[in-house]
Amino acid sequence: MAESVAPPNPLEGIAPEPGVAKPDPILVVDDLRRSFGGLTAVDVSHLEFQRGAITAIIGPNGAGKTTFFNLVTGFDAPNDGNWRYDGRRLKGRGAHRIARAGMVRTFQLTKTLAKLTVLDNMMLAAQGQGGERIDRALIRWSWAAREEQIRVQAEALLDEFGIAHMKDEYAGTLSGGQRKLLEMARALMAKPRLIMLDEPTAGVNPALTQSLLEHVRGLRDQGVTVVFVEHDMDVVMDISDWVVVMAQGAVLAEGPPVTVASNPQVIEAYLGRSTSDGSGETPGKEPRSRETGDEQVPEDG
Amino acid sequence: MEFDVIIGNSFRSGLGPQAAIFALAAIGLNLHYGYTGLLNFGQVGFMMLGAYGMAVMVATWGGSMWVGIPFGLGLSVAFALALGIPTLRLRADYFAITTIAAAEILRILIRSSHATDLTGGPFGLQAVAGDFYDLSPIPDGRYGIGTFSYSDSQVWLLIVAWILVAICAALVFLLVRSPWGRVIRAIREDEEAVRSLGKNTVSYKMQALIIGGVIGGLAGIVDAIQQSGVGSENFEPQVTFFAYAALILGGTATTAGPIVGAMLFWFLREATESFTRELSGQDWLPNFIADFLDGSEGAISISLTGLGLILLITLRPQGIFGKREELQLDG
Repeated sequence: MAESVAPPNPLEGIAPEPGVAKPDPILVVDDLRRSFGGLTAVDVSHLEFQRGAITAIIGPNGAGKTTFFNLVTGFDAPNDGNWRYDGRRLKGRGAHRIARAGMVRTFQLTKTLAKLTVLDNMMLAAQGQGGERIDRALIRWSWAAREEQIRVQAEALLDEFGIAHMKDEYAGTLSGGQRKLLEMARALMAKPRLIMLDEPTAGVNPALTQSLLEHVRGLRDQGVTVVFVEHDMDVVMDISDWVVVMAQGAVLAEGPPVTVASNPQVIEAYLGRSTSDGSGETPGKEPRSRETGDEQVPEDG
Repeated sequence: MEFDVIIGNSFRSGLGPQAAIFALAAIGLNLHYGYTGLLNFGQVGFMMLGAYGMAVMVATWGGSMWVGIPFGLGLSVAFALALGIPTLRLRADYFAITTIAAAEILRILIRSSHATDLTGGPFGLQAVAGDFYDLSPIPDGRYGIGTFSYSDSQVWLLIVAWILVAICAALVFLLVRSPWGRVIRAIREDEEAVRSLGKNTVSYKMQALIIGGVIGGLAGIVDAIQQSGVGSENFEPQVTFFAYAALILGGTATTAGPIVGAMLFWFLREATESFTRELSGQDWLPNFIADFLDGSEGAISISLTGLGLILLITLRPQGIFGKREELQLDG
């Protein structure tokens, strides 16, 4: 399994408490607050994301996970607070500039570009295509060579994600699961250093989910940091190095998956019952023991 | 009933200056709406600024037409900036509302009596295109067969106008097939997705608005040349909707769509008009029909045009050149 061959976990030995400092954080969030009218959707006092790790953000519905994503990727503006990506302050920067800096996100409801071909969806995401500038758009020779490079990259990625046969079809003809794959592959075309996946496996069938998760592990092995929102506890327990639990906009707990899964506060937040009753039922504990016994195809990339 | 007259008139209209003007306006709209997804309901405003820019330069300020044309196009650019800067960050529907209002406000200002010294107010401006017709290499006379014929100055105008149509269509064709065009087509599908991939969508929308608006301005200039004058009554909101009708009829996001759509639209307009005119002169008509027709030929012909458009769009909802499967794709 991927975990067994992975280098020693730099997060080992970090105290599982909200806001704890990480050895090498790529994203640091401070006092981030967003309210809609009287409702405080996000109120995170301090949170760090370790570089090169897979961090899951979990929490009950309405915990502010997606709003948190929207805030740090520039799709929504916070009322207050700050965040640094790779040492750069991002507050007030447009979403496109944050993406260009290497922090690329996907969406909970896939945003495939229906009337563009699958290949065009991919090629759009590439950075450094000068032909996207209006003053060079008509000067074909100035961008044709780069376009060819992009096409080769796009086709290779589509192949890797198993949707290469659809490359000339309209993206709108893809199934829900294929759209999730396309959206992730497309985000990778932008060569992110931090990829933020909003429910990457929602609506994806189990077979596709497995291949998607292998891609996520493969990303970590290539040094890409992954942060993802997920409801499926099997998935969370399976692939994350670190889990952040949000509830009512704030960070309730964070830590390694096993620790978080047995945290009484987390169980209460999820199941809404007092900690004394629920000690025997830790979310995801059972799935994990089942998962780890399974045989999995090792990464071949 | 003289069908050769009806058919001749229809072809004259379908290939005539109005068709070329609306083809240009629709090519600009195609870039806005068809490719970028900008619901611009104020295309007539761009046309008006192109036309009035040139006309004011010539008739009011006594300048040359060749200065007036770039001046008019420059005003179209300014209109795009004035419209786009405050509204392109907003949702598409706000943009749509603003465009129709802005174009109408502009028209009311131009025709107000306070503006008479500059724009001629309600009287408009005349004799603005002498420089253009002086250049005509076409010998005097009439060219064509039967009612399908044009005067020599019309032939000269038509040659230039259809060449402009071809150039603008080629320009848009090349632009939308470039990486730049990929970005704007993607914006049409989902702007947020495009932002998430590192593209400054507001800037792209502004560029598309300017280019399509300048093509609209050019349409206005051809209109001013064709009439050798400008009048605010030629720039009512319906002009934009006629251009939309032409675009949708031909097929949005296609190269030939706006051109053939405009030809078909003006062919239909003239065919129904000639037909009702011919019909109302027939002796064999029962009295009640003749009375009904008398004096309402215009209204009836435009209703028939509408009926024709409905039939065409029911048969081919994607337009003549559009791809049906694109209509069935969801976001």
